Amino acid sequence: MIRLGTAGKTRNLALVEDSPLRRADPRTKLALSLCASLAVMLSLEKLVIFMGLYVLLLLWAKLLPEAARQVWRLKWVLLVLFAVDWIFVSLDLAVIITLRLILLAGAFSLFFGTTTPSELRLALEWLRIPYRYAFSISLAFQSVGLLDDEWRTIREAQRARGAWSQPTGWRDVAARVRDLVALAVPAVVLTTKHAWAMTEAAYARGFDSPHRQPYRRLAMGRLDWLLLAATLAVAATLVLWR
Amino acid sequence: MVRRERRDGDGMISRVRTEQVAYRYPQNNHGLAPISLSVGPGERLLVTGPSGCGKSTLARCLTGLIPHLYHGTLQGEVWLGDQRTSVAFLWRLAERAGIVFQNPAAQMLAHSVEEEIVFGLENLGLPREIIAERLEATLSRFGLEAMRDRSPQTLSGGEQQKLALAAIIARQPPVLVLDEPLSMLDSTAADELVAHLADLADSGTTVIACEHREEYLQALPGLRTLRLEGMTPSETQVPALHEHSGGQPAHRLEVEGLSVSLGGQPVLRDLSFSLDSGQVVAIVGRNGVGKTTLLRSLAGLQKHEGSVRMNGSWPDLGLVFQNADLQLFNATVRDEILFRVPEPDMALYEWLLAALGLARYEQSPPLLLSEGEKKRVALATVLMRRPRHGILLDEPSLGQDAVHKAMLIRLARSLAGSGRLVILTTHDLPLAAQADHLALLGPAGFVTSGPPAGVLGDDAAWARLGLSVPPWVSTVGDSS
Repeated sequence: MIRLGTAGKTRNLALVEDSPLRRADPRTKLALSLCASLAVMLSLEKLVIFMGLYVLLLLWAKLLPEAARQVWRLKWVLLVLFAVDWIFVSLDLAVIITLRLILLAGAFSLFFGTTTPSELRLALEWLRIPYRYAFSISLAFQSVGLLDDEWRTIREAQRARGAWSQPTGWRDVAARVRDLVALAVPAVVLTTKHAWAMTEAAYARGFDSPHRQPYRRLAMGRLDWLLLAATLAVAATLVLWR
Repeated sequence: MVRRERRDGDGMISRVRTEQVAYRYPQNNHGLAPISLSVGPGERLLVTGPSGCGKSTLARCLTGLIPHLYHGTLQGEVWLGDQRTSVAFLWRLAERAGIVFQNPAAQMLAHSVEEEIVFGLENLGLPREIIAERLEATLSRFGLEAMRDRSPQTLSGGEQQKLALAAIIARQPPVLVLDEPLSMLDSTAADELVAHLADLADSGTTVIACEHREEYLQALPGLRTLRLEGMTPSETQVPALHEHSGGQPAHRLEVEGLSVSLGGQPVLRDLSFSLDSGQVVAIVGRNGVGKTTLLRSLAGLQKHEGSVRMNGSWPDLGLVFQNADLQLFNATVRDEILFRVPEPDMALYEWLLAALGLARYEQSPPLLLSEGEKKRVALATVLMRRPRHGILLDEPSLGQDAVHKAMLIRLARSLAGSGRLVILTTHDLPLAAQADHLALLGPAGFVTSGPPAGVLGDDAAWARLGLSVPPWVSTVGDSS
């Protein structure tokens, strides 16, 4: 659990520490997630079977609640897409599009619910992404959780100074636009300042050094090889199955 | 690695030397006026001066962040040992001088305490065994072993500042520069930090601290002080204040059974107290004890249990946040203060500009002002709305120099004189000493409260809180 923000609100964006996948190599988890993401191309029948297997994997990895939470966050998007597809195209398409999105959300949870930003960076470096970019991506991933908290704090700060208009409905569009400016300007300023402070802190500790030596190294264990073999077997079966 | 030191004109060895170095930021007139200095091994230098005098700018010049990351106008030269900062690689300069910034939370780069320290060591190109050795030694030296796997974001302000220092010291730079390292720390954490700095200086590290709260650093033996004057004149006179906001009948804030939990952890437990209007109340407590949460609850921004009442109804108290950037967004200071104020009282507006030293910035963009100036603009925006019962100030002295702190306390007294209640939370004990009422907040509630003179002398209460009162506090408080 990571406590975030000035108000100390706690969010469940953090690692699922008791998941067996927590100790797996990030490359294995990347492969699992990619396999799940590629499965969106399957036909409806195969997709349903794959999702069944994927749910079993999430259940074993103790990640089902986290995956369910991610899907729940998308509930309105899923509902609207389902309704639009059903009304304008067909029920089959509505079902398959919805299942694909649910699968992608699950794949996201599998990787990000069990991988630290440094592990992500190591996996990206292994993929030959230059350190500078791998570090920036991992830092951005680490900071995502702070944005929601910052947005809420800004809204409260504006309320506290009386800059937030009373709810009068959407008819008062000009006031609403000003409200958005009152939120957006501090949000941009804070994000920029935060990014700049981290840039300074990184350079102050030799971020641009050409002599960098990584302390941690990736190592595949028995669990990783087993998972990779199972992933390959499932992928091959689904591709070759007529 | 052998590092050659540079000798100044008198033949003395200097690790840091500047020759008429000056800097001007491209977006405003702030910066650093020309300055020359020379600091040798094991020396302790305090750089102080009014808000906006260029302390932070000097810290960045000394470590090479200026001109490598900033693109204003730099004049003169800075030498770190035998390296001229304007031409040397930044990573090479980072080996010679480490810098700890003002806001420790903003400089955390990793998801765990251990990774935070390892980051800087990896960049030195050290073998893994040496990194492991230095990591363990640093964790042990700063008492961070027990929290090695914790996220830096979950640490208190004092712990974060300690970690920021540890992450730099692990790299063993011969020069350590600190930019307002004490501003967010309580007195105990500040004392601990100063003790670490004394140890480092004793072992030969050059320590340069840019700091408003200089009294704490006076404990460093052999401290030299450099006072910067700045590029723009600072107000030396606190303008006479006149009450424009109208008197208020006496009222009483009554809080009963106030409890707040954050993330399942209780922060405030069953807090009950009452405060009469017409006074300035200072609340002091350790980092993370719930001072900000208390103010947020009184302002109606925090979900809580229990009741908060002012003469039987919900209080109308304006809250000025610790971070002014949250509240400012308009194009000019004038627009900011007058934003959405129905039928503004222009006499009050003029009074606020004068009382808060903002008159010359009336047409300036608020977001380009210094931190202290932004806080004063945020305070003006709240006061312009005339909160009926009073105001709540979260760490109001952050980034303020002595002149502006004096302005602040006079303004608070003026509001109290008009029958309003002013509650401020602070780590700044000299400021707290000037309140009418001082309350000490601990994890289990208020430890004691009363007139500052009595509370400051209550050693047992401070000990229960885990805080110390430096001997100079009461003197400063009395003299202001």
